Amino acid sequence: MKKKGLYLLFVLIFTMSVSLTGCGGSKETSGTGQNTLIYGRGGDSVSLDPANVTDGESIKVTKNIYDTLIDYQDGNTELIPALAEDWESSKDGLVWTFHLRKDVKFHDGTSFNADAVVFNFNRWMDKDNAYHQGDFPYYGYMFGGYKGDEGHVIKEAIAIDEHTVEIHLNFPQGPFLSNLAMPPFAIASPAAIEKYGETLGEHPVGTGPFVFKEWVRNDKVVLEKNKDYWMKGYPILDQLIFKSIPDNSARFITMQSGEIDLMDGVNPDDVTLAKENPDLQVWLRPSMNVGYLAFNTEKAPFDNVKIRQALSMAVNKQALIDAFYNGLAEPAKNPLPPSLWGYNNDIVDYEYNLEKAKQLLAEAGYPDGFTTDFWYMPVPRPYIPQGKKIAETMQSDFEKIGVTVNLVTEEWAPYLEKTGNGEHTMALLGWTGDNGDPDNFLYVLLDKDNAKGPDAGNIAFYKNDELHELLIKAQQSGNIDERTKLYEKAQEIIHKDAPWIPLVHSTPPLVGKKNIDGFIPHPTGSDRFTKVSFK
Amino acid sequence: MSQIQHQTVINQMKMKERVDSPWMDMWRRLRKQKLAMIGGFIILFFILLAFSAPLLTSYSYKAVELPSRFLPPFSEGHFLGTDDLGRDLFTRIIYGAQISLRVGFLAVIGSVIIGTFLGLLAGYYGKWVDMLISRIFDIMLAFPSILLAIAIVTILGRSLTNALIAIAIVNIPTYGRLVRSKVLTLKEEEFIIAAKAVGMKDSRIIYNHLLPNSMTPIIVQGTLGIATAIIETAALGFLGLGAEPPIPEWGTMLADSKDYIQLAPWTVIFPGVSIMLVVLGFNLFGDGLRDALDPKMKL
Repeated sequence: MKKKGLYLLFVLIFTMSVSLTGCGGSKETSGTGQNTLIYGRGGDSVSLDPANVTDGESIKVTKNIYDTLIDYQDGNTELIPALAEDWESSKDGLVWTFHLRKDVKFHDGTSFNADAVVFNFNRWMDKDNAYHQGDFPYYGYMFGGYKGDEGHVIKEAIAIDEHTVEIHLNFPQGPFLSNLAMPPFAIASPAAIEKYGETLGEHPVGTGPFVFKEWVRNDKVVLEKNKDYWMKGYPILDQLIFKSIPDNSARFITMQSGEIDLMDGVNPDDVTLAKENPDLQVWLRPSMNVGYLAFNTEKAPFDNVKIRQALSMAVNKQALIDAFYNGLAEPAKNPLPPSLWGYNNDIVDYEYNLEKAKQLLAEAGYPDGFTTDFWYMPVPRPYIPQGKKIAETMQSDFEKIGVTVNLVTEEWAPYLEKTGNGEHTMALLGWTGDNGDPDNFLYVLLDKDNAKGPDAGNIAFYKNDELHELLIKAQQSGNIDERTKLYEKAQEIIHKDAPWIPLVHSTPPLVGKKNIDGFIPHPTGSDRFTKVSFK
Repeated sequence: MSQIQHQTVINQMKMKERVDSPWMDMWRRLRKQKLAMIGGFIILFFILLAFSAPLLTSYSYKAVELPSRFLPPFSEGHFLGTDDLGRDLFTRIIYGAQISLRVGFLAVIGSVIIGTFLGLLAGYYGKWVDMLISRIFDIMLAFPSILLAIAIVTILGRSLTNALIAIAIVNIPTYGRLVRSKVLTLKEEEFIIAAKAVGMKDSRIIYNHLLPNSMTPIIVQGTLGIATAIIETAALGFLGLGAEPPIPEWGTMLADSKDYIQLAPWTVIFPGVSIMLVVLGFNLFGDGLRDALDPKMKL
């Protein structure tokens, strides 16, 4: 009889645990009253050395510890001065001169000057540099490789005087300034780099609004106010804590109970509850992302454009948005989000038409459909908060035209690795823009240069020479009108070839306490808390 | 249950040529136990639901109907409401019953067959055979069963079949040990010594005498084991290691709906209650069965 009791207990625990997840946790972190902001998020940072990471959870934190030469405006990707007060370029676009801000100090007390900037540039680009410890992936993506590589954009960085730096390019790069404003190209203290070397990621030292204090892995990162910040009167908060709570609904329950002050990764359905709650407010992050279904164009039957077009006609995007985004997204017809310049609004999306889809399948030689695998991501992403549900819905959609898909998933890291190697037939994925330049979407995600594993950005493995020419031409041009035309043409080609079904551009919701003031979500997904305060 | 019972009754009668079967005796005693009968009814109810699933509902368990998501229970046409993809919850629960019961039975049958075989060998031959088999059991029991099951599913890959295999494997030692200890006592009984004395072959002794006489504890343990297997399937499903979507496995349904516990609690409650009821049913019935079959309890 004892055993029965035990089983009953187990069943009870099993059903109850669902409702109780997240009720635990201690209160200790919200001790210091209204000048500490606790930001709840889904995952821990990988490293706090921004030059050596690509994940959003790391950059979210380093954005508040470090400054870049140029920064984005609050809420959009217009460029504003940061560590560089002013800049100009030579006529041919090959020499850029930056005039640096004076009297700026790193958190360790050393001075920020031209030598520090040159030191950082050399660390990023020169594989022979003693401090080039790590992969520096973003540098490679944005500046065409490293010193000595054929496509490498930057020739050298030279300190002209204490507060002037010249950067010489091998050839002009259209998005050069936008790239420099990206958080990975933040200036770290040379003294700290020399001191910590490889472990800089655990001891970040920058010039930013907050000073690193403590990092408890898988729990929290604690930052404190930088009292000598160069922007006078800021930051307002005394302390900023990034707390990891992986489960979306558990995090929301913690938010409701007031243990955290602000959270991202809100389940779209919880937004309704947040709006009804008088203590909470909801922000929408401006959309600069795309969620898509990529066909592996190297594998049959997706090497056939008609099949890709047929499936594009079998997805009801608006229904997906109503159900899984609480309406907080718009259907995508291009890989580019509409907020970016260069967006081609003349493109007419494939209509939702099952009859036509079936007809196309028949023309392609599959009148009875076919069976294939459909990969979906296991974790909520800002562009696709519920991969599994979307996959199940699309599975049901595809079945209507006779295409049977088996749903496949992996843990997040192997998922990225395997799709990056082209092991999938079709896969859900997405992208949040880093710098507001169309190049950051089209070249990274659809150019043939990036259609090779491992870590292919172009997981459709879509290779089109005409497109490649347009994208390279646009990359090397400094004229925005010319670039706009090239990108518009590029989107036409992509639309016709349908290597993806672009699904949505979402506006990821954030929820916070009603009395938070001055918080403006940034489209890149990493926010500055310099001007945030409690009312 | 009745299947096994029936089969065993025949075996038993063939062997002992007795008309007054101990099984009738058992049934008489079982009937007197109210709790066991309630358990039996719960099981019967879910078995009926599972078998008549296509007759009870006109919906498909996988047809997504987004406009009608989150309909509350007792909505028109949806007795238990709908889930987050607008699928009829009642339909998914009863198809889920099919899956849970099938996995429960098959997993137990699998572990009973292998466990009994190994237990018979270990108990009968003793020495190094016993040593080897018992140590393997010890090693397997050293892991928490769910952890071992997770490890096995991770190696085999995620699917319902693999979850079933994993659950069958982790439960082998339970039955193996039971049979081994039973055989150890039986071996000393006079009828076995007699059988050996007349030169009966080992295989015949094992099959004709030891096996039938170890059946009782196996049946009791097996009934309780179905409950464990169903919970373990649900646990694996809940952790995302069981059935792949859109299979309506109860644990998976629970995991899928846990995000909506505030918005649409019925999507969590019904699968949870189903798991609880079925497990409760098997536990009550298994307990009653043990009481009925235990000779020491005879009044």
